[in-house]
Amino acid sequence: MKCSDVERVLPELLDGAPDGAFPADFETHVKSCPACSNLVSDLKLISSEARQLAATEEPAPRVWLRIAAELRAEGLISDAAIREPESAPTRPILVPTSRRPRWSAWWLAPVAAALVAAGSYVVSHKPAPQVAKQQAPATRVASPIPETPAATSASAPTPAPRQMAQKPAKPTDTIRPAVEPESSEEDQQFLTAVSTRAPSMRTTYENQLKAVNADIRETQAYVDRNPGDTDARQHLMDAYEQKALLYQIALDRIQ
Amino acid sequence: MRDSLGKFVQRKEFEAASERLAAGKGDLTDPKQGITEAEAIEQAKQGREAAFEVLYHLHKRRVYSLCLRMVSNPAQAEDLAQEAFLQLFRKIATFRGESAFSTWLHRMTVNVVLMQLRKKGLPVVSLEETLAANDEAPKKEFGTKDVKLTGSIDRLQLQRAIDRLPPGYRTVFVLHDIEGFEHNEIAQIVGCSIGNSKSQLHKARLKLRDYLKFMRAEKAKTG
Repeated sequence: MKCSDVERVLPELLDGAPDGAFPADFETHVKSCPACSNLVSDLKLISSEARQLAATEEPAPRVWLRIAAELRAEGLISDAAIREPESAPTRPILVPTSRRPRWSAWWLAPVAAALVAAGSYVVSHKPAPQVAKQQAPATRVASPIPETPAATSASAPTPAPRQMAQKPAKPTDTIRPAVEPESSEEDQQFLTAVSTRAPSMRTTYENQLKAVNADIRETQAYVDRNPGDTDARQHLMDAYEQKALLYQIALDRIQ
Repeated sequence: MRDSLGKFVQRKEFEAASERLAAGKGDLTDPKQGITEAEAIEQAKQGREAAFEVLYHLHKRRVYSLCLRMVSNPAQAEDLAQEAFLQLFRKIATFRGESAFSTWLHRMTVNVVLMQLRKKGLPVVSLEETLAANDEAPKKEFGTKDVKLTGSIDRLQLQRAIDRLPPGYRTVFVLHDIEGFEHNEIAQIVGCSIGNSKSQLHKARLKLRDYLKFMRAEKAKTG
């Protein structure tokens, strides 16, 4: 075998043949030829040293956060869309975030906005004052908020209050929502309005309201037990948003 | 909605699996860990954020490492890795399993990187054309004596030498010698033959050898 033969067969042999498995004439030549011996040795060294460059670094955590944010903005993340087919259709009339209906100005608008505000209050880091149950959330809203992302077109991105939920919460905070979710006065007004304008939809919306209130109650209890769990707080925020969405959809349908 | 808390708990379990993966403790082949890559892919097709995150943590190191070795800039490598994952996740509904998921991902990564290099004005038209253009034997640029590279190779020098490689050589070298892909996988990733992959790798190593010897000679001169 000659040096030129060694160079020709080297690409096939260098990686494919374990040590000691080279053809005899190849080995004979390499042992006797300093240039080819150096060449084989150098190429093996480069290959083995290169492996040291592998996978020692990780991308910063912000990379995943940016990916997740982009996926949400594009509507590719839709955890709310997952349903167990055999379970009762708990939200048949709720639509995914990317297809939220447009706002129509009506008195339910500030109530829905207050629900979202209540949810964002829950996930903020401020200690929650004891809020009187009788306090009507509508009175705390200065005006309808048609410009909120939740109130705008169907292609709106995630609403602004969700961004508030990103603030870290102190684990020792005792969180209480500004609005007790169970059969509040606003819920009764809502159902009364539905009964008046779209009686056939009353049962559906009543069931939906019960379900979302139960969800808020359960999640609230979970948050109370796990105050440091920011994901739980976010889930509670999501539940409040679902309730606000229920109001929005009703608003659009019964007007 | 009443079972949303159940789904929340399920998501937490999913996310715990993701965290284990992120900490390097996850084993997707262990049923006790809760999820396999195939399950994560199916869940991701349904829009589960935790599933996307599992897939991300599973492959992030290799994707980032590939990008970093190709562009040698951590910030740029992060951007490229991010883009590669986004392209993958956007198309995940089309993944049918004909090839390995990692092969599919790394093919996207290579394309993203080469697109970036093309934007920088480097002569990359397509990887196939680049490989064909590099098909001649590498020229001996430095006229170094045929002296053996003794001892270990300085990692920084090796990275600098890799940076000097043409994109086609660099891609195959990074995929094989650094990231550990086999030639049949590289052939699928870059769209060439196995023989071509072996040939390009050999030429990349020859070029690196020349660069490293030159660097050592220069260093010896300057003391």
